[in-house]
Amino acid sequence: MKAAPFAYCRPDSVDEAVDVLAGGDAKVLAGGQSLVPVLAMRLGRPGTLVDITRLPGLDSLVIEDGQLHVGAAVRQRTIERSAHVASVPLVARALPFVGHRELRSRGTVCGSLAHADPAAELPAVAACLGASVLVRGPRGDRVVDAREFVTGAMTTAVGPDELVTGVRFPVARDGEGFGFAEIARRHGDFALAGVAVRVRGDEATLAAFGVSDRPVVRELTLDDPTESALRPTTDALAADIVDTDGDAHGSRGYRARLLGVLAARELARAHREAHR
Amino acid sequence: MRGLHVAADATVDVTLTVNGRTVTVAVSPRTTLSDVLRDRLGLTGTHVGCEHGVCGMCTVLLDGEAVRACLLFAVQCEGVALTTVEGLGSADDQHPLQEAFSHHHGLQCGFCTPGMLMSAYDLLAGGTYAEDNLPEDMSGVLCRCTGYRGILAAVADVAREHPDGVPPPRAAVPPALVGRSGSVSVGATLTSGERKSARSPEEITVPSGPPTVTVEVRRALASPVDDVWTVLADMDRLAACLPGAEMTADLGDDRYRGRAVVALGPVSLRFEGLAHVVERDDTKRRMRVLAQGADRGGSSTQAVIRLAADPAPDGGTTLWADADVHLTGRIAQFGRALAGDVSRRLFEQFADAVDEAARTGEAPTRRSSPLRLLLAGLTTRLRRLLQRPR
Repeated sequence: MKAAPFAYCRPDSVDEAVDVLAGGDAKVLAGGQSLVPVLAMRLGRPGTLVDITRLPGLDSLVIEDGQLHVGAAVRQRTIERSAHVASVPLVARALPFVGHRELRSRGTVCGSLAHADPAAELPAVAACLGASVLVRGPRGDRVVDAREFVTGAMTTAVGPDELVTGVRFPVARDGEGFGFAEIARRHGDFALAGVAVRVRGDEATLAAFGVSDRPVVRELTLDDPTESALRPTTDALAADIVDTDGDAHGSRGYRARLLGVLAARELARAHREAHR
Repeated sequence: MRGLHVAADATVDVTLTVNGRTVTVAVSPRTTLSDVLRDRLGLTGTHVGCEHGVCGMCTVLLDGEAVRACLLFAVQCEGVALTTVEGLGSADDQHPLQEAFSHHHGLQCGFCTPGMLMSAYDLLAGGTYAEDNLPEDMSGVLCRCTGYRGILAAVADVAREHPDGVPPPRAAVPPALVGRSGSVSVGATLTSGERKSARSPEEITVPSGPPTVTVEVRRALASPVDDVWTVLADMDRLAACLPGAEMTADLGDDRYRGRAVVALGPVSLRFEGLAHVVERDDTKRRMRVLAQGADRGGSSTQAVIRLAADPAPDGGTTLWADADVHLTGRIAQFGRALAGDVSRRLFEQFADAVDEAARTGEAPTRRSSPLRLLLAGLTTRLRRLLQRPR
């Protein structure tokens, strides 16, 4: 389980990183908690790894213009411990489910987004909240809506010569409530089904993950916000959303049932929180 | 301005701190941190299981936080501070977590224990500990023996005993020098943490149990007894007679600091230690010395040494040396017989050097090299093996 040989580059600037990426056959290395296993299993053999964790500016973790800006080098555990995390409750609730402590101490928030595992928590949170992903490439900077960021399983809108430099999560406003839940075989494993929700008044946004090749976002109106009353709605929604085929760990029907139950429960919880 | 670029087939020097000591290792980009710790620094306490981040065996502390050493390339670790299980505590000075694991029998085969310990330390030091969440919080390291009950009980115990935070790693068992490939250099400066962790450095404690090896050597020397005793009574000259040894400081009150090198095949042990002359009788020409030394790789030795010089009928001297030698750590794996051979050979060379020093009135000029010790020790042992009846 040793990675195939690769060249290592630790650039001094984001522009230099982009230059190296433009040379082709290079991958961005941040926390490496998803990338390195891939290399170890020789599922990938990039010619060069571009280590962006020490790039100046990418470690910024600030609230500005009503958004929490998380630089591409910010580790999950750093934000987990930061006072800022309380301003985006959905991120705070999702982070403990991301891998284990030992992985979050190296893994980055932006790395989770860029890796885009279908069962990953943070892409769903970003999609639910309508976060903005900041991308830089040879053609300059651009901003990608998190709901359009993931384009398939482990595939994103980021080109091979581009780099995610940060993500901006909207800070929670008064009158909003949130919910997050997932079911995995063990704590820290990828979810069989999971849901992130935001409720504002009677309007809700729901992002399901682990049940399709990317986070699936749905808007709905909560007429009767109790869990039992919501079930028929969420069950129908789940049947519509889940298109992951069953595997050894759960059939498609089982995942749909998990999603229906979790969605109703978290929507009801978020609604209570929003109307406190 | 260009950053660091290392070709796939090139190596680069990476300097990092491991258990309080600064080391520089030449690595290629794909070398993992776990491989550097085990293969290059000899810190094999960090185990490697799945090598892709799932099992948690290789968990170490990086800048105080638990990480998977197999998911880090060493080249990423420039300037970081690492603590491995060797730095958490030692056999003689266990960390409370290690004591609790022992008490609760938090291990069966022991393979996951280093990972469990480092993960548990991180949990207790991280400020997020809650007993209700303990099983989930400790789920980052797998135990295939499924000995989780004892492990969780041990962690919970330590958390209860240290509500204000778990004590820091005992720290500072510096890495052994295992230069299998590439270069490794070890910084000379001890960090303050290291100094602090050395328990009452001027105190020598001799284990109460039976010694690993008992050595008794009697040697006829040509020099007159008074000349021999003059050498023995002078610590500078006595130390100079010990093969591979050197006195580095006179601490006063008949206490001395020194170092000694023992090389044996691929093994190279560098002991730093103390000696204390607890009895000295100039009339009967007898002395008793306590000595202890610790090697960088976690081996340690304590010895009670008795020396006596008696006049011989031929005008020479009979030198008696006997010692109870206690060995712990890696060196103990040598086995009793080999350790005995080496110790006995050491004393014989010591006696010869004393004779020479007594005759010339000077410290021996030709100090026995570790290499000679190795050859002599191996020859003796080989001879005995060959003589063994089939």
